Amino acid sequence: MLLRNVLLKTLRDSSRAVIWWSLGLIGLVALMVSVYPSVHGNAALDKLVHDYPQALKGFVAFGGELDYTSGAGYLGSELFALMVPLLLLVAAIGAGARALAGEEEAGTLDVLLANPVSRRRVAAEKLAALFLELFALGAVLFLALVVGCRAAGLGVSAAHLAAATVSAVVLAAGFGAIALLLGAVTGKRARAVAGAAALAVAGYVLNGLASLVGALEPLQKLSPFYHYAASDPLRHGLGLPHIAVLVGIAAVASVLGPFAFERRELVA
Amino acid sequence: MTGVVRLEQLTKSYGRNRGVVELDLTVRAGEVFGFLGANGAGKTTTIRTMLDLIRPTSGRVTIFGLDAHRDGVDVRRRLGYVPGDLRLYGRLTPRELFSYFGALRGLRSLSGAERLAERFELEVDRPIAALSRGTRQKVGLVQAFMHEPDLLVLDEPTSGLDPLVQQTFNDLARETAAAGRTVFLSSHVLSEVQHVADRVALVRDGRLALVDEVESLRARALTRIEVTFAEAPAEHAFDGVEHVRELERRGPVVVFHVRGEIDAFVKTLAEHRVVALNSHEADLEDIFLSLYRGDDGRAAA
Repeated sequence: MLLRNVLLKTLRDSSRAVIWWSLGLIGLVALMVSVYPSVHGNAALDKLVHDYPQALKGFVAFGGELDYTSGAGYLGSELFALMVPLLLLVAAIGAGARALAGEEEAGTLDVLLANPVSRRRVAAEKLAALFLELFALGAVLFLALVVGCRAAGLGVSAAHLAAATVSAVVLAAGFGAIALLLGAVTGKRARAVAGAAALAVAGYVLNGLASLVGALEPLQKLSPFYHYAASDPLRHGLGLPHIAVLVGIAAVASVLGPFAFERRELVA
Repeated sequence: MTGVVRLEQLTKSYGRNRGVVELDLTVRAGEVFGFLGANGAGKTTTIRTMLDLIRPTSGRVTIFGLDAHRDGVDVRRRLGYVPGDLRLYGRLTPRELFSYFGALRGLRSLSGAERLAERFELEVDRPIAALSRGTRQKVGLVQAFMHEPDLLVLDEPTSGLDPLVQQTFNDLARETAAAGRTVFLSSHVLSEVQHVADRVALVRDGRLALVDEVESLRARALTRIEVTFAEAPAEHAFDGVEHVRELERRGPVVVFHVRGEIDAFVKTLAEHRVVALNSHEADLEDIFLSLYRGDDGRAAA
């Protein structure tokens, strides 16, 4: 029975969404790896990419040098530079905003909180559900990548695929927790989505531009997207300090969310 | 006995006029307490501080001797609640909702909910979103009563219920009080609570205007009595009879107003030959309306 507690109820509510997101991720991976054989060893394409303007390289590379013709470089640019974090972030921010603000807007928070559960606990269980959903999406993504890379001969080890997936999941978890925090503070789902999405876009743009504009370079380390890619996970695995920063962001937001929710005035 | 609910100088201020001001109120164990006021008078604000959904600007809310905020979880373990604007998980069926809240309350069995659902003739296997407003209100009542809480806080619980269901609710509230548990019941109309409440309080513009026993309110009630005499009594026959005022005469038909106890009037009446007698107990509403109007004569309703 999936109605034992707030955590399981939340997972039950989002199970359908998780299935759709999973199918999306699988489809995306399948599409990208199926194109790889025609790209691999294509010298003309290699030169084209090599001649990309620097401004573009900052956005399409996933750590390391831009290199379209190796398996790791291809996966990095095609999946991990934008599409994978984008999908995971949209899923995470949506779920984070829905967690508290969504239930507050729906008006069901009143009867829920009439039960002998503390608000902190409700928020913590909603956060746990959010992280479990992202974990499930990460597992699906990882399996799709392992299968896809083997089938299309991309030659990226499972350990490195896992590293890149973990980095993306932890990045998304941070923004999901931020969305939940903003929802706890404002009580408005739209504001939570807008706030978290604005932070994500700002971080993404800052990271991309910083490799181009010298003046921004010192600020690059402020962007979660920098830490997401900096260790070049598809070639070198996870870099501890970078993943620690991403975990830290998620942890701080996860502590602040329940705290803010506890103090909120839930005006009808 | 100390009160089950104690509001001490409870003040909650919002931007301008809304909220409540220095509310003092004690609700006793085993009573049905009617909490009355116009929409916007501060009923829901008061109730939401009791549930710790909002926090007092100043003053205190104590329930079972516990602080409604600091000991909120312990308070809510023994409390059932129907919010004024009841909204439930539309995708769950009532049965699933009861099982969810039952789990959150650590209930071992849902027999309480099943019994109540049967009593309210509630369908429990259709999604809540597909239910009518009145049926959803029943779902709200069942989830509030199902764990037999010591205190029920019900914000306009009977709005949208048909009279038959309202009667079921009244019976339930009376039984609950008879078992020594407490029902705190808000409404914007007295007639909804006058048959079930032991005491009522009236809030007006965020302030407590009156707390009284329903019985003593009733004693202050004005009864209009129309008597048809065999032959018209003498002009001043009823002057000086306690609590009685003669209102009008149409030949042998005389209309009286009796305030409170009717005994003296009946004894005087017995000295005459009476053909017919018709009485309307003035609705408590009328008394209320007279109290409702502020000193400046302005109607707050």
